[in-house]
Amino acid sequence: MPRRRLFRFPWRTAAQVAADVDEELELHLDLVAQELAEEGWSPEAARAEARRQFGDLEGTRKVCRELDSRKEMQMKWTESLGDLGQDLRFGGRQLLKSPGFTLVAVLTLALGIGATTAIFSVVYGVVLRSLPWKEPERLVRPLFITQEGERHGAFSAPNFLDVRAQSKTLSGLAGVSGGTLNLSGGGAEPERLPASWVTANYFDVLGIRPLAGRTFAPDEDRPGAPRVAVISEEFWGRRFGRDAGVIGRVLTLNGQPHTVVGVLARGSQLPAGSDAWVPLVFSENDLKGRGAVWFAGIGRLAPGVTWEKAQAELDLIAHRLAEQYPDANAGYMKGMALESLQENMIGDTRKPLLILLGAVGFVLLIACVNVANLLLVRAAAREGEIVIRAALGAGRTRIVRQLLTESLVLALVGGAAGVALAWWATNALVKLAPRGIPRLEEIGLDGTTLLFAFGVSLLTGVLFGLAPALQTSRTDLSGVIREGTRGSKGRGATRARGALVVAEMALAVILLAGAGLLIRSFARLQKVDPGFDPKGVVTFNLELPASKYSDDAKLRTFMAGLMERMEQLPGVTSAGATVYGMPLDDQVNVLTFSVAGRPPAPPGKEESMRIANATPDYFKTLGIPIMRGRGFTPQDRDGAPQVVVITEEAARRYFPNEDPLGKRIDLGWTAGGVTRGGDIVGIAADFKQETLSQRSEPQLYMPYDQAPLESLSVVLRSGRDPQLVALAAKAKIRELDPDLPIYGLQSMQEAVAKSTAQSRFYMLLLGGFAVISLILAAIGIYGVIAFAVRQRTQEIGIRIALGATGQRVTRMVVGQGMVLAGVGAVVGLLGAAFATRGMQSLLFEVKTSDPTIYVAVALLLVLVAAVASYLPARRAALTDPQLALRGEA
Amino acid sequence: MPKTSLDLMQGTVAVLILKTLSWGAMHGYDVSRAIRQRSDGALGLEDAALYQALHRLERKGWIEAEWGLSEKNRRAKFYRLTDDGRHALQSEVTTWRSYVEAVSKVLETA
Repeated sequence: MPRRRLFRFPWRTAAQVAADVDEELELHLDLVAQELAEEGWSPEAARAEARRQFGDLEGTRKVCRELDSRKEMQMKWTESLGDLGQDLRFGGRQLLKSPGFTLVAVLTLALGIGATTAIFSVVYGVVLRSLPWKEPERLVRPLFITQEGERHGAFSAPNFLDVRAQSKTLSGLAGVSGGTLNLSGGGAEPERLPASWVTANYFDVLGIRPLAGRTFAPDEDRPGAPRVAVISEEFWGRRFGRDAGVIGRVLTLNGQPHTVVGVLARGSQLPAGSDAWVPLVFSENDLKGRGAVWFAGIGRLAPGVTWEKAQAELDLIAHRLAEQYPDANAGYMKGMALESLQENMIGDTRKPLLILLGAVGFVLLIACVNVANLLLVRAAAREGEIVIRAALGAGRTRIVRQLLTESLVLALVGGAAGVALAWWATNALVKLAPRGIPRLEEIGLDGTTLLFAFGVSLLTGVLFGLAPALQTSRTDLSGVIREGTRGSKGRGATRARGALVVAEMALAVILLAGAGLLIRSFARLQKVDPGFDPKGVVTFNLELPASKYSDDAKLRTFMAGLMERMEQLPGVTSAGATVYGMPLDDQVNVLTFSVAGRPPAPPGKEESMRIANATPDYFKTLGIPIMRGRGFTPQDRDGAPQVVVITEEAARRYFPNEDPLGKRIDLGWTAGGVTRGGDIVGIAADFKQETLSQRSEPQLYMPYDQAPLESLSVVLRSGRDPQLVALAAKAKIRELDPDLPIYGLQSMQEAVAKSTAQSRFYMLLLGGFAVISLILAAIGIYGVIAFAVRQRTQEIGIRIALGATGQRVTRMVVGQGMVLAGVGAVVGLLGAAFATRGMQSLLFEVKTSDPTIYVAVALLLVLVAAVASYLPARRAALTDPQLALRGEA
Repeated sequence: MPKTSLDLMQGTVAVLILKTLSWGAMHGYDVSRAIRQRSDGALGLEDAALYQALHRLERKGWIEAEWGLSEKNRRAKFYRLTDDGRHALQSEVTTWRSYVEAVSKVLETA
């Protein structure tokens, strides 16, 4: 570094630089002219000769000006950088000099910046970052609009093929259906794989390239094509140790040999959880069932086609198909809408995440306010230093810059600590996050989130540093000199600190109100009666592959053997099984039905409800009471009269003014020439079918024996450890079929907990933010009151000397805190009434305007503020008037 | 004014200025007179070139300038050699000498 001058001339403007060059050249010309005049030249001639001798005067002038202004600029930069270096070193020293202050400030900032970065990384990974495929913004989900105005993404095979053939605005339309596959053979234990059935063009439409091997060839989804499968990188590693020889290997999936042709990279697969992809082959039955909608479509807009154009065309196609096939389509497709794939994947997650981001932003603001407050208090202590610097000639800008540099150093150190915190917190969040949050695997700290953290740090540095810096630099020199250093700052600074505390109180109230609403909503959810008794019940699933269990008789035989063995398990008091009938499960099967003796509904207008089957002891095992009539018995077997049990909601909705018992229901489901259905023999209590927050939908049960299906959910009631029961069950099932994996094992209590996991997750996060903000606000109010007490020591001493009791002093000081808290609470409640409006969709049976929450929050805040101001008030009350008056306390 | 056949290259101007300023701080006019006197007017150094060279050297950091008063009490820009300038002068002079020596040797052997 060049040596620094002690004194420096002020920087020159461009005009000054030019004038200096002119003056220098003018002097030269004058001196030369003078010399010539002495030799006897006339003044005019001398002047002209001097210019002639000089040469290119104007050119020189230009060159010199140019050179000088460049030099000036360079010096300015060097000087500024030098100043910055000086500021940084000085700032660093200042911060190290008061380690207590620095530690508190850095921790506060780390908390704020860390939490914000962590939540941002989640929001970025889930909501903002675009999907990992080629031109993801051109990927769409076509959704049918039903007569009721609802949107459904499910296609039937004939509709899918028609839409694909007729659409010119989509360059491709792929079908995908999720499920599970049994992997068996190879000597290892059978395994249940999350799998996807996809049309052959699926990977091309998405633009997914395999990590190894290939994806599907165009004709591999035709009936009779050789069976092939694509597997996930995760599964490749888990089962095959990333063996490159896996391509060409044959896997037994659902009892059928499939050749592995490719592996998909972890980051690029869809759906994220799938382990295997097999071609979606439409059977003859599929091609006949135009009304059976069961898989999703993903399309890609053709090049140059706008969203609106595609939307209009698909809408038209839907209209046409509805007219052409009114029986199957009239009610289902009044039109078609497009949704971006990304939007579709994110779905309902966007809103709660954005709310969390907003909330964490409040925490950051509170942290800023707190640090600003600390800085103000510190500034008062540094008044002497500032005055000396000002007296030595430091300008106001220079002092503000110095103070801001300190804040920035503080913010960057806090930011660095915050990033460490965010790294930990992001991992924890991903682990804690409930299922149902999409794209979790894409969350993590990366360049973008780090840049975000850096930007946030800089911003916070300016945010919390600027006000105190301006305030401090306003120091009135003469005032300080006249009054001495104590209390010269007076009202301005006190008021500023008061305003900051009110602001953070208000922010804390808003967060508390939001958290309060979620907590209340969660408590409501916890109290919901699921409609069954989850205690002591364990459940797992079995998928009987159609290749082996090819007809109903085989299913019945298997079920009989299964139930017999399950009931014999030690400790098991009751065993049952169902298909599509499990509570808190998202497997749904909706079928149309008609009630015998009523006029038939016009096509497309039939009533429909959820249809399931159940073994005789199913209701008893789950503890679902039969309210009227009877449940199923072993006598309700194949060949016996068909019977059904409906739920109370079904009875209420479809038999409002009559007794449903004894009525016959026919389902839109025929098998072997027989229409399935039966006489209603019993009414079961309602239970929660998918989530606790949903109301129960009408549901109908048939005896398993009279309507067997392949995807079993088994329930066992016992007093024993669910894991042990499951282990015993596994061994017994192995006896029946060694290739059959069991999956989805959980206790029903876990299932209940899972269904509240999402609310719990958001509640815990927002609650955590609210607690942090409350603590920060308490520290803030404590700091302000404590400082005020210190400044008023003399006054308090006088009061005590004049006879004020300790109690009275305490009341006075606490009162001061209460005023701040009161104002903060009022402002905060107004803000909360506004800010929580967007939260309604996250709440269960709680209104955002719930007055109890608001009252509770306000009380909590005032209480915390009272405690926080009581501590300094105690100290004030103990002031020794003698010492105080002498200024020694 | 006598004309010479010698055409001065820019680098030479720089060395001359540095050498001149090594005797002490002076302003542009004095530098030009000093060079003329020492060379007995043999070097027809144009003032335009001199001033441009002065400013270039200042930007380079080999000389620095400060405003002061001339003998006749007029504001004048005084140039002074910096440490960098002094080092540069030494190496330039060495280079110049060896160059001259080499050229002389060639000329004398002819």
